[in-house]
Amino acid sequence: MATAERILTEPVPQEIEKKPWRFDVFAHLPWLKGLVRMRSFQFLVILPNLFLFYLFLIAGFFGTPIGNRNIIIVFVWILWWFVLIAVMMPFGSRLWCTMCPLPFFGDWLQRRSVVGVRSGKSPGTLNKFFGLQKRWPKRLSNIWLQNFGFLFLATFSALLVTRPLVSAIVFGVLILLAAGMALVYRLRTFCNYICPISGFLSLYAMTSTVELRSADKEVCLKCTTKSCIRGSDKGWACPWNVYMGKLDRNNYCGLCFECVKSCPNDNISLYLRPFSTSDVALRGYDEVWKACIMLMLAFSYSIVLLGPWGWLKDWANISEKHNWGGFGMFAAGQALLALVIFPALFYLSIRLGKWYARADDVSTKELFLKYAYMLVPMGLLAWIAFSVPLIMVNGSYIVSVASDPLGWGMNLLGTAEFPWKPLWPQWVPFAQVPILLAGLYFGLRGLHKVGSQLFKDPTQLFRSMIPPAVLLLGVTVLFLKLFIG
Amino acid sequence: MKHLIDSKYVRLAVVIVLGGLAGFLFTAFHLAPPQDRSITITAHKYAYDPPVLQVNRGDRIHLHLVAQDVTHGFYLEGYNLEAKMRPENDTFWVRHPSQGGDFEEVDEVSFVASRPGKFRYRCSITCGYMHPFMQGELIVRPNHLFSTSVGLSMGLLLGMLLVFRPSSQGVKK
Repeated sequence: MATAERILTEPVPQEIEKKPWRFDVFAHLPWLKGLVRMRSFQFLVILPNLFLFYLFLIAGFFGTPIGNRNIIIVFVWILWWFVLIAVMMPFGSRLWCTMCPLPFFGDWLQRRSVVGVRSGKSPGTLNKFFGLQKRWPKRLSNIWLQNFGFLFLATFSALLVTRPLVSAIVFGVLILLAAGMALVYRLRTFCNYICPISGFLSLYAMTSTVELRSADKEVCLKCTTKSCIRGSDKGWACPWNVYMGKLDRNNYCGLCFECVKSCPNDNISLYLRPFSTSDVALRGYDEVWKACIMLMLAFSYSIVLLGPWGWLKDWANISEKHNWGGFGMFAAGQALLALVIFPALFYLSIRLGKWYARADDVSTKELFLKYAYMLVPMGLLAWIAFSVPLIMVNGSYIVSVASDPLGWGMNLLGTAEFPWKPLWPQWVPFAQVPILLAGLYFGLRGLHKVGSQLFKDPTQLFRSMIPPAVLLLGVTVLFLKLFIG
Repeated sequence: MKHLIDSKYVRLAVVIVLGGLAGFLFTAFHLAPPQDRSITITAHKYAYDPPVLQVNRGDRIHLHLVAQDVTHGFYLEGYNLEAKMRPENDTFWVRHPSQGGDFEEVDEVSFVASRPGKFRYRCSITCGYMHPFMQGELIVRPNHLFSTSVGLSMGLLLGMLLVFRPSSQGVKK
């Protein structure tokens, strides 16, 4: 189980005791702290995205059905996706959640305020919220729904990333769902447990070079108000239900900065840290399967979308080719790979490692959960490697579509006729190789780090690492084969 | 200086480089005599047939391009070649994108596969929903980049294991 609530009930894990280097951004850039403390900060960063989102929906419903001539496809699935996965995730943690327009209307309905804070009492908080304020069922307080939701959407990825209407419908449904859930459930239940984007952001935020943390955990433990999670007249109760005194991973912190506003002890700061070194503990099967699903989807997308095999594209392209048998095989194959085959291979490597290390004092479950961290940096960097050709080859569509966002023949910026022009496509493999090697490096390093926490005997540690490390090498070589082999 | 040479990171770097070198050498002696290859590529929504072309460096490739259903493009990265084909046409139109200019009608285009590696040919004319993903692969052997990269990966794994091995951490068994 991986819930924000669990953070409140579990002891502080040992791994946070040995913090690597970190740099206090707010201490060095006080103006940035002042900026995020402004009540209007989040609204101001959401506002442009809200406008763009509105434009995207219009384009999706009323613009041209040809994807590469419609702004919703080009800006979302080429530009936004690349910035999200290659820039925001590694260097900004869940910065996207700070500016995401999807939960905006839900927050508005729940708070009946866009900028201001309302003091009062609602279950578990010192703010006045509106709606039914129900608790989300405990058995669903994990990311399994996000896992299955993302896998389900990925089954229709060939439609989602090429059909403006499909993208618009999906985003429309998500925004309505977020608003509806905010009226029924407390806080950001949609973001925590439903949003399919949030699921993988939570996983890959672990690697990020930034973190929002309390400066001194002792101050948090002695704090009597717990304003970060309960709210105050200065800030809303954490929408993600996170208590800063025990926050030790980026996974479920949506960087809304409400805690920075509400903390009476001025004890919250933004820190820089090295890539993929701090949050190295997966804490539930839901998170492990998320890591497997994301890695295998990167693999599947690389085969289906970037591969040369037309029959596979036809299988995935169900609404045009109507090959239901083929689509069934594709959907079942992808789900089987992500949910069964790869997790089974990973499990096998763990059992082998445990056997070779004669590690009878460490349970297979613990080893399985902890060693799965190696899949996190590998998965993120595999996704980045997958995304590089998307932006390099199809990035020129951004220039033409910016001038004719709906594909109606407008020429707002004078660039509507800008030709499709791949940017140094022959050099893409030379970018993909170091990215994948970095994934392998950080995966192996993570493996050693979590292993060091499990084993006191270095020989046991070393032996237990070998089979999963070989599996990681196999994954790397497979991606290399797809991209450059 | 001695400390630097003894450093585990130097050892790691050496093993990685050796792995890359071994990978490179694995394909370095792949010396097939150049030959002429005549290949017809048929484009249809959203693939090329054949999807993958495997040739040797130095081969002269004679391409004949055909469109089966709608007008398609053919943009071969790394070889400065772009074409467009219309259905039911025996001829097609070719240009060199870096030089710009107009397309020239031909019934065959030829070039020497002088650059080794994997290169994609992509559709350059919007042909339908999945157009941005319509592509094939030209693999010019020896593919040094691939073999070197696999060698580097293996070197990285071995190097990391050497760094992590118990004796290198100063622990007596």
